[in-house]
Amino acid sequence: MNKTLHTRRKFLRTSLLGGAVAWTVPAFLERTFFALDAMAADSLIQTPTGKDGTILVVLQLAGGNDGLNTLVPYSNDAYYRARPSLGIQPAQVLKIDDHLGLHPKLTALRGLYDEGRVGIVQGVGYPNPNRSHFRSTEIWQTAVDSDKTSSSGWLGRYFDSCCEGADPAVGVNIGSQSPQSFAASEPKGISFARPEQFRFISGQSSDPAAADEFFRSMNEMPTDQNDGGSIGMLQGSSDSGGDTLDFLRRTALDAQMSSDKVLEITRRSKAPTRYPGSQLASSLNLVARLIGGGMPTRVYYVAQGGFDTHSGQAGSHERLLGDLDAAIGAFVADLKSQGNFDRVVLMTFSEFGRRVAENASGGTDHGAAAPLFVLGGGVHAGLYGQTPSLTDLSQGDIVHNVDFRSVYASVLENWLQAPSGKVLGAKFSTLPFL
Amino acid sequence: MLDELDRDKWTPEAAAHLLNRAGFGGSPSEIAALHKLGLRGAVDLLISGDEDADLFPPPAASERVDMSDLYTKAKGLSEEEKQMRRKELQRIFRDQTLELRAWWLNRMRWTSHPAREKALLFWHGHWATSIEKVKEPFLMWQQNETLRALALGSFRQMALEISRDPAMMRYLDLGQSKRTNPNENFARELMELFTLGEGHYSEKDISESARAFTGYRVDLATRQFVFQPRQHDGGQKTFFEKTGNLTGDDVLGLILSHPQASKFLARKIWIYYAGSEPSPELLDALAAEYRGSDYDTGMLLAKLWKSREFYEPSVVRRQVKSPVQWLVGTCKMLEISLPGAVACNGILQQLGQIPFAPPNVKGWDGGRAWISSATLLLRYNISAYLLSGNASGLPGLAQGKMEGGKISLEKIYSGSNSPEEICNAAAARLFQSPLPIPLHEKFVNYLSTHGTGAAARQDLLHLMMSTPEFQLT
Repeated sequence: MNKTLHTRRKFLRTSLLGGAVAWTVPAFLERTFFALDAMAADSLIQTPTGKDGTILVVLQLAGGNDGLNTLVPYSNDAYYRARPSLGIQPAQVLKIDDHLGLHPKLTALRGLYDEGRVGIVQGVGYPNPNRSHFRSTEIWQTAVDSDKTSSSGWLGRYFDSCCEGADPAVGVNIGSQSPQSFAASEPKGISFARPEQFRFISGQSSDPAAADEFFRSMNEMPTDQNDGGSIGMLQGSSDSGGDTLDFLRRTALDAQMSSDKVLEITRRSKAPTRYPGSQLASSLNLVARLIGGGMPTRVYYVAQGGFDTHSGQAGSHERLLGDLDAAIGAFVADLKSQGNFDRVVLMTFSEFGRRVAENASGGTDHGAAAPLFVLGGGVHAGLYGQTPSLTDLSQGDIVHNVDFRSVYASVLENWLQAPSGKVLGAKFSTLPFL
Repeated sequence: MLDELDRDKWTPEAAAHLLNRAGFGGSPSEIAALHKLGLRGAVDLLISGDEDADLFPPPAASERVDMSDLYTKAKGLSEEEKQMRRKELQRIFRDQTLELRAWWLNRMRWTSHPAREKALLFWHGHWATSIEKVKEPFLMWQQNETLRALALGSFRQMALEISRDPAMMRYLDLGQSKRTNPNENFARELMELFTLGEGHYSEKDISESARAFTGYRVDLATRQFVFQPRQHDGGQKTFFEKTGNLTGDDVLGLILSHPQASKFLARKIWIYYAGSEPSPELLDALAAEYRGSDYDTGMLLAKLWKSREFYEPSVVRRQVKSPVQWLVGTCKMLEISLPGAVACNGILQQLGQIPFAPPNVKGWDGGRAWISSATLLLRYNISAYLLSGNASGLPGLAQGKMEGGKISLEKIYSGSNSPEEICNAAAARLFQSPLPIPLHEKFVNYLSTHGTGAAARQDLLHLMMSTPEFQLT
């Protein structure tokens, strides 16, 4: 950042808010005042936003998606030997070459594959795989080695290191709990499940307009900490950045600013395409409306649950993939009609695949490596990574040949234009799907 | 370390802090009563309690549902009939779970022994077990009672009983562990999450202890623990450098003689009650205390609640309320009943803490993880519902009416007339201490502009609850 800007920033801080309170100013407030003057700012330092820049949608398949029945190695006898009842017959799979085909429910994905819009990365995992849901999910979300832990998530580190000064809505999670991948020392990103509830509801008060106005003014007020004999005092002196009240104030402010934007966009936008009735479809519908409405968001996060198919997998997995496919199909159609498909990449992931051999309850147990999908207007279609061996296994599980952080690195470097080494803590080779 | 708080520091604010953390807070008169007892008297009362258990008759889940209709007696039935019975059972389980949850929340709300329920909430998150996998509400109720009886008692006894607890045995697959094929799930979590933490045991310790825990079964008819010698691996095992024909109880004993166990547990307990990481010296002192009392949780808590460290500015009003604390505590300070079972369920689900359904075996992360932009706004909006008992305008948030009716503005604002007095009364009730001056002035201005009538007085409570400050305790 050049010196003039730095000075201007400092000036804004002190003149508008008063020098004494500078460190208690919520990060976003500071950014807002900075933004007031953005017209004059050097455009070179402006980071792209989701308004016109590229957008990533991360779709989590929670519970461990069965990769083998998603991308079926239908020419491989070992597959049918391991899956006497769950194996999908060659006649049913949606073939993409002489060896592999998609699950029969993945018709929309198959269509997109033929259009050249889908990359399938095979055998994605990590060394020393962990078979616990929460631990393996944590590994994917934090993007560290399986014997390490981290308090920050990979997307949180991206927001932190590459989106300085960005709007809090740089990351949007559809759901009420923030995903671990958004965690950061200075957390950014907002979460909400229903836009109509993502606002301060003053409708029950005697004078809703007054209550609403008061609520707003309260959030915009920096509270002096040094005001004896009060809660502020009871808190003692807080160390910068680590104070819980400061964290809450920042979240409150971010929520309010973003909620105005989200409400405005969802009120005026209607999906031109019909979406199916599943939870995932309504999440993706919301994402499409936010993209179409010009949110500054660069990363959206949605999830579909239920993939932990220990028993009776045949019916349930079919239903899950059917919902997934239909939701993606509607989402892509929507983005295309908006003219935004070329700006969006959607990436799926699941904490692990499933054991190669089916179990005695018509299901599959926790496994390791599995394929994932990357799709979008800018994706180079095709198969990436090697088709994993079904005979050379590790404890009954598929051995990975692509580290999941290579997929992250590819998306970061070649789609979000971010230095992946900084975000992932190490250099991982990229794949040419983008 | 852990010296007793100076006499002159035992203020009404300190008493409020103790009641907030050791229990779920209370009304101004409850806080005043606790303050009057002095620090020692207050802590003694919290630990000993005097709950009249008759006030909380067991929920429907305490009666075991006979599932033989589904299995042995279902032979020869058509697939459709079986399906119908399965559906019926699912409905019963769903209803029972809902009632069980409300039963516990109401116990937290109304008990005269809140410290036990608060500690029980800690142990539930510690030995995290979920109805999602356990399925039978009866087993969850049974575990809740087991933990309640020892919540302020011996951790050693609690660990022994939890290793035989049918809900836990089902949750971590211990009931399926075979002599020929020991399941390591329980053994691993026992060390990683329940007693030692990662890095204090080897993979070999896990596999050897898994062998020691074989033979544990749940009796199908009674749903109680039975030991099945035929499934127990009676061979030599080596655990923590001790070799012999070790049993599960032996393994627990060896774990608890490891100094790391007291450190691991004392740290978790301190964070639950104080809300922050203990300094290394404090942690050593707490761990020594816990070890010295042979893991008597009540003794550790009494020491902790009387300690200077617990009343330090870095501790007081710096903890994010958990959703359960927020809901139960708000009802207590406003002296209203909890919403109905369905509404409580919906509220806690959206705020991210459903009792009897922790997200995984690690329990709830807690702290700042409770707060996202979504849950913060939800808290603000649900506050309006708690104050008015009216769920209209809150789509999907809460169904049904409040059971106990509305707040009493007369009680809350008794004797307050000026904007200044009204603000102070509301702040004393909601924050148990004066507000920061700028915030206070803003609220006073609000009343000066909008009048001091009943409507404005109720709005004031909602606005005060819709602040970052109210999310802390």
